[in-house]
Amino acid sequence: MLFRQTTYSLAVGFMALLPFSVGAAEITHELGVTDVPDAPQRVIALEFSFVDALAALGVSPVGIADDKKRQRIVAEYTAVIGDDWQSVGTRKTPSLEVIASLQPDLIIADKTRHSGVYDTLSQIAPTIVLDSLGGTYPEAIEQTLVIGDALGMKGKAAERVAEHEAVMAELIAQIGNESHGVNAQFGVTNATGLWLHSPLSYNGSLLEKFGFSSSMTPQEGEVYETNYVPTTLEQLSVVDPDLLILGKYADPAFTDEWAGEALYDSLKAVEASNVYTVNAHKWSRMRGLLAAEMTANDVLEILTEFSAKQ
Amino acid sequence: MNARHRLPLQAGAIAVLAFGVLILSVYGSLMTGGRSDIRLSDLFTASTNGAVILDIRLPRTLVAACLGVNLGLSGLILQALTRNPLSSPSILGINQGAALGLTIGVIFPSVGALVGLMPLAAIGALAAGFITFSIAGVFAGRIVSLRLILGGVAVGAFASAMVRFSFTLEDDLARQVLRWTLGNISDVRWHHVQSLFVWSIGGTVATLAMAHRLNLMALGEAQASGLGADPRLTLMIGALMSACLTGTAVFVAGPIAFAGLVVPHMCRFCLGPDHRILVPATALGGACLLMAADAASKWLTSPVELPVGVVVAMIGAPYFLYQTLFSKGAI
Amino acid sequence: MRDILILCALTATVVLIAIWSLSAGAVPIPWHIIGNTLFDLEGPKQEFIVFQSRLPRTLLALLTGGALALSGVTVQALLRNPLASPKIIGINSGAALAVCLLVLVLPGAGLKWLPVAALGGGLLAAAIVTGSADFGRFSSGRLALIGIAVGFLCDAGVDFILATSADAQFSAPLIWLTGSLWARGWTHVQLVWPWLVILASLILVLSFRVDLIQLGDSTATSLGVAVRPLRLILMGLAAALAAISVSVVGVLGFVGLMAPHMARSIIGGAHSRIMPCAVLIGMGLVTLADATGRAIAPPIEVSAGIVTALFGAPFFVFIMIQSGKRSRV
Repeated sequence: MLFRQTTYSLAVGFMALLPFSVGAAEITHELGVTDVPDAPQRVIALEFSFVDALAALGVSPVGIADDKKRQRIVAEYTAVIGDDWQSVGTRKTPSLEVIASLQPDLIIADKTRHSGVYDTLSQIAPTIVLDSLGGTYPEAIEQTLVIGDALGMKGKAAERVAEHEAVMAELIAQIGNESHGVNAQFGVTNATGLWLHSPLSYNGSLLEKFGFSSSMTPQEGEVYETNYVPTTLEQLSVVDPDLLILGKYADPAFTDEWAGEALYDSLKAVEASNVYTVNAHKWSRMRGLLAAEMTANDVLEILTEFSAKQ
Repeated sequence: MNARHRLPLQAGAIAVLAFGVLILSVYGSLMTGGRSDIRLSDLFTASTNGAVILDIRLPRTLVAACLGVNLGLSGLILQALTRNPLSSPSILGINQGAALGLTIGVIFPSVGALVGLMPLAAIGALAAGFITFSIAGVFAGRIVSLRLILGGVAVGAFASAMVRFSFTLEDDLARQVLRWTLGNISDVRWHHVQSLFVWSIGGTVATLAMAHRLNLMALGEAQASGLGADPRLTLMIGALMSACLTGTAVFVAGPIAFAGLVVPHMCRFCLGPDHRILVPATALGGACLLMAADAASKWLTSPVELPVGVVVAMIGAPYFLYQTLFSKGAI
Repeated sequence: MRDILILCALTATVVLIAIWSLSAGAVPIPWHIIGNTLFDLEGPKQEFIVFQSRLPRTLLALLTGGALALSGVTVQALLRNPLASPKIIGINSGAALAVCLLVLVLPGAGLKWLPVAALGGGLLAAAIVTGSADFGRFSSGRLALIGIAVGFLCDAGVDFILATSADAQFSAPLIWLTGSLWARGWTHVQLVWPWLVILASLILVLSFRVDLIQLGDSTATSLGVAVRPLRLILMGLAAALAAISVSVVGVLGFVGLMAPHMARSIIGGAHSRIMPCAVLIGMGLVTLADATGRAIAPPIEVSAGIVTALFGAPFFVFIMIQSGKRSRV
């Protein structure tokens, strides 16, 4: 009797401790604190970087704001999350009706785009708001942890992040000293212009992690308020990176017109043929843990070519 | 009578002033830009800096000048045709119509490829002008000033709304179209100059040839026909010219508001109503205004460049407000 | 008699449009479920979509549509020109500038304050326009011109701010400002309905005097109307109606331009008849625009402001033809 009682109370006591690692969580996010149910099954992601986090944790969302273009969720993600999710519309103005009809138990929204509808979203389901659009790479990793916490997978998220950091550390080790002292710059170009990503942006901070330096660091008296700076050829010649990485949204892109011009040819990167084209969607729109690994692989390839030319 | 006696001295002073302003504007436009280490003397060396001036800055300055000529002349013609000193391509919705034509060509590439983007801009300008003129009763012979302006604003607002609709489309397309809502000439090259230059020179010559007709328009319908210049013909030719001038300007840079208002207005204020003098003066004045605005756009918020349309609007909008508050005669 | 028939027909149309609006949207919901939810009957319901999303949106569309139309009628009467609209007195541009300034100066303020800024900006712009026009010799044409000029000035300010600041900051406020009923709910309805109803009633009460003002300042004065104070009051009411609308749904262009015009061609005559007619037309227009925007390409929502602008295209052709006829007479 006594033995059974003791075991029983020990078991209860033990179970009382469990909620702190598996049960309903109070998640702190950009707009406050939300009570999220344990292990939400029906998740809706309203930005690509959240899809990245879900894929990293192996969770399939029921709805994604994909701008009604399913191909924007790349193969690396659909391999994990499958193809059953429903489109809830554009990231700018997702359809609240479709979101409600999916009966979610967790909604992950972007701070810049969706702060205004936070209250309405909260009526449908517990909502957490994170800064995807404006966030840097370290913040993207943080957000993966927060999402993991919300999913009731705190431990798994920590493990996955640790795995990711190990992978990145290995890639960085492979990069080694090659990137030190090299000025690298990433930019996106469509048919009408070029936008360089400042060191405050996701890609800027990622390149910094790889050991590159940037000549776009705000000089005295100048402030880079925006992450994506429209840049003319003259301004590019002032930045003059050793390594220029371009994501092209259009073909032919705006920067292609510059080929053959004296100023363009005199750029360090152009002279040494160190202008590389990467997939603009993967580099610029996705912004997450898996995306960083894809980016790192691209950087490794680029650096191999770069070093070969030194 | 006094004016006549003073004319040579006044004319001389104005000519010197104009020349000075022209030199300053050209210098300002050429010497500002992303790089701060470019000197005028570099033009004569074969260095990269020299290439910067030749390949990048000179075309940009020329484009600015041509834009100013086109828009100024377009405004001058419109003011003469409608006998309203406040007419201009942007107030009558013609600028926005051109932008809409261009946007349609971008969003529906098949249409754009078939007709060509520049003709589409001119067609858009013409259509918008046609609607505004109809609303104002121009084709029925009596121009009602208030209807003209209000109709123009409504047409312009409609065209802008349609252009802004494309912002709700995907981000890339949206960013492309955004460039066409604010006059923007960053990164123009020589091939942008070619067609625009032809229109500027041709436009000035053609408008000068029309100067007599435009003078007669100011007298009113009856007098004009009585003096042998069919006002309907003047109207058609003038409207066509204005649409083409505006269309080409918008095609290269996007709609730049107020350039077609400020320049003819000021020239008329300084030099009187004779179009034979006004046409070259407006052309020159427009060129100076846009080049000065170009210089300001590169220098004001350096290292970030302002779109040149924003700078012109910052000059033109207060000017327009001032005119409506303190001058009589428009309505 | 004919007027009453017309008003009844319009009311019926508006009711039908409103009912359609409850069933239009990205998620197809059969009628019996809508009925169940609305009247709390037995059976499956769709609480959120019908009750929290479509119903308040429909109500808000009706309210703002009527408000904008009434504002348009009043402005057209005060300016004595059928081409005027609330936009002419600078409200839309003033609201946009105020919103941009708010985001610029207080970026952390949160989107809750946007309606307040928009309201303040719109009213301030209208006050500046009316004040400047009143200073010195008043003429309706001058008022229109000053309003347009102030509008352009505010637009230039908005362009400047947009061109020199981070894109991301402004994307949400800008979308919010382009006339749209996306994500509007009961909070918005509760915020505005008392004001709109009160202001609208005040204008309807004054409709007879609006007729007198249209006759011209001197005629009106000789008929015993205190022209200047009345004009200020009417302008204030019209500006408030439009500004309140803009503050909750953004800039729904062309409603204030089209509805009075259509009302005048359908019913004509004194403002006591035109105003209710315009209100009904405005209600129908905006509700129809919102419902169409939801139904056309689900799950993408086309904002109501775009659809009303699209309605504007045939409308312009219509007034072109009309003005052609009128000038020929």
